[in-house]
Amino acid sequence: MFKLKVSDAKLLRDMATAISILVDEATFKIEPDGMKLRAMDPSRVAMIDFEWPKTIFEEYECAEPTKMCINISELLKLLRRAGKDEAVELSLDEKTGRLQVKITGKYNRNFTMPTLEASEEEVPTPKINFNVKAKTTTQGLSQAIEDAQLVSDHVRIEADSEKLILNASGDLMGATITLQKGSDTLLDLEAKENSKATFSLSYLTEIIKAASATSDIATLEFSTDMPIRIDFQQTKEGKLTFFLAPRIETE
Amino acid sequence: MRVIADLHIHSRYSRATSQQMTLGEIARFARIKGLNLVGTGDFTHPGWFKEIRETLAAESDTNLYRVATDAASPVRFMLTTEVCTIFDSRGSSKKVHHVILTPSMETAVQVNDSLKRYGDLAEDGRPILNMTAAQLVEEVVSVSAENMIFPAHAWTPWFSVFGAFSGFDSVEECYEDMTRHIYTLETGLSSDPSMNWRLSKLDKFALVSNSDCHSFWPWRIGREANVFELKELSYGEVVGAIRSRDVSRFKFTIETDPAYGKYHWTGHRNCSVSLSPQEAQKLGNVCPVCRRKLTKGVEQRVEELADRPVGFEPAGVPSFMRLLPLSEIIATVLGVDSLSTQAVWKLYNLLVGRFGDEYTVLIDASKDALVEVVDAAVADAIIRVREGSVRVVPGFDGVYGKLVLDLAAARAVEAPRGRVQQLNLADFW
Repeated sequence: MFKLKVSDAKLLRDMATAISILVDEATFKIEPDGMKLRAMDPSRVAMIDFEWPKTIFEEYECAEPTKMCINISELLKLLRRAGKDEAVELSLDEKTGRLQVKITGKYNRNFTMPTLEASEEEVPTPKINFNVKAKTTTQGLSQAIEDAQLVSDHVRIEADSEKLILNASGDLMGATITLQKGSDTLLDLEAKENSKATFSLSYLTEIIKAASATSDIATLEFSTDMPIRIDFQQTKEGKLTFFLAPRIETE
Repeated sequence: MRVIADLHIHSRYSRATSQQMTLGEIARFARIKGLNLVGTGDFTHPGWFKEIRETLAAESDTNLYRVATDAASPVRFMLTTEVCTIFDSRGSSKKVHHVILTPSMETAVQVNDSLKRYGDLAEDGRPILNMTAAQLVEEVVSVSAENMIFPAHAWTPWFSVFGAFSGFDSVEECYEDMTRHIYTLETGLSSDPSMNWRLSKLDKFALVSNSDCHSFWPWRIGREANVFELKELSYGEVVGAIRSRDVSRFKFTIETDPAYGKYHWTGHRNCSVSLSPQEAQKLGNVCPVCRRKLTKGVEQRVEELADRPVGFEPAGVPSFMRLLPLSEIIATVLGVDSLSTQAVWKLYNLLVGRFGDEYTVLIDASKDALVEVVDAAVADAIIRVREGSVRVVPGFDGVYGKLVLDLAAARAVEAPRGRVQQLNLADFW
């Protein structure tokens, strides 16, 4: 038996959007104390690591641990039908294997959708010693990434003890975006050693754009030529973290 | 007699072809290249077929043709065409190109009469036909048992029998019960016989190579070709040698390095992403730049269907020789991007003038003889290509491969194509 209810559909919708950036079919671990998802995109370049404790929901029932795989885009289509302040209830009918999506508000809607075969793959997180930890506003980070995307499809992120630099270089144009420690955008910066790594902007842009809807503060951790970990501090409880593998410059 | 044949070319009536692609010019450059048999291409097109009938004269008792006004030319023409069939098979749309050879104007007329019921032959030199591959074979062989039909560039991602996007996993799936009339496959630029030998199910087919050229320039026409040793140069002898796979008659094919082909590796042209099969599989065949599905290259497609290891060599089949166009070799030595610059033509003409044709330069001329005509760097490059001691940076998603003579500089040549290499998270577990 699994059932959850949220009073504001936006919470579920934003999270489903963030997951859909990387994953089409999402296998959730449903446990008595909450739900989790850890999955990689098909190219294994990026990973989402997401947890919601039961306390985040108005109602949450899970008798015993189970897994549930759903097509996240299809779920998102249904959740987009919910208006502001409308409540959403998800419940899994284990006999039929169908997920019921109930939206209540101005009027009541009951949708059902199939669940899919759950993935048995246990996805580990990358083992990395991070040398840089930077806390930024998601709004500022999002804007800086958009600046970089104007000129290139990848960005080199560099840090020393005083600043975070985003360096983008395209065939014709270049951009250098500097975030000073203590500025309105870069709230904190710790650098054990100067570090730099290059990342795909198509991934970064989509991840940051989607996750910003759930968070005001992002914490970036990286080391030279290692994956970056971006943790989006949730406005309520819960965890939303992304890992993104680097690109290695050959020139 | 030795016959070097390029049986798949296009006329100026095909899309994206040189407007100067006339039969006279094709014959002129075929001779410079060293070909003595070349396909007319596009005999299904009414305009081109009219030119064929007006320009070519039959060579008696050979079912081949020559330019009527040039009796001295050693170049013979065979009536050939390429068509595209589009059809549904098991719920998906299939687009497959086929080459058709026919022995006479009369049989060509009959083939055209038959095929015009399935599409507009005047629309393109390579017409699109709404019929299955099996129907096409049935129509063609019912006109004449001497007609020959085979899948064109069998591995290219689009429009081929094994194409990653709209092809099949076997010849039999494509041609159904008409497979019994398929005697050969055209390997295409991006694959060579050694790649095809890795599929035991292809053992029953001869492997032919042609240029599929859209212009007559010597870096296009005859860049791939078939070498026969025949009693006489005739349609029947050539087709018979292919059908029988008789190695005493069908000696070998001339191949470019498969990496030179435009679809050898997997990648995205617009994203400058070029990946080996292993790298592409590691990334789930998703482009790390735009995150859309990659254009799967021929090497990866062969890898998917192969049941033999790399390097497998069957016995008793025609061999092959890897060459590259002479203009490409000269341009690489000179460090110029364009093959048609005067500097390249100057050396090209010196060599062809001295040795008679390009194939003789590439295959037979000794280094001592070459250095009498050109400087040592060009001579050395020709010998190295002949011996296979060069590197070709693989082509991908429509981008030709690039010859690299200075192996130490290979990295610099590769760099612009993939300035950054995308790792994945599994590299850090």
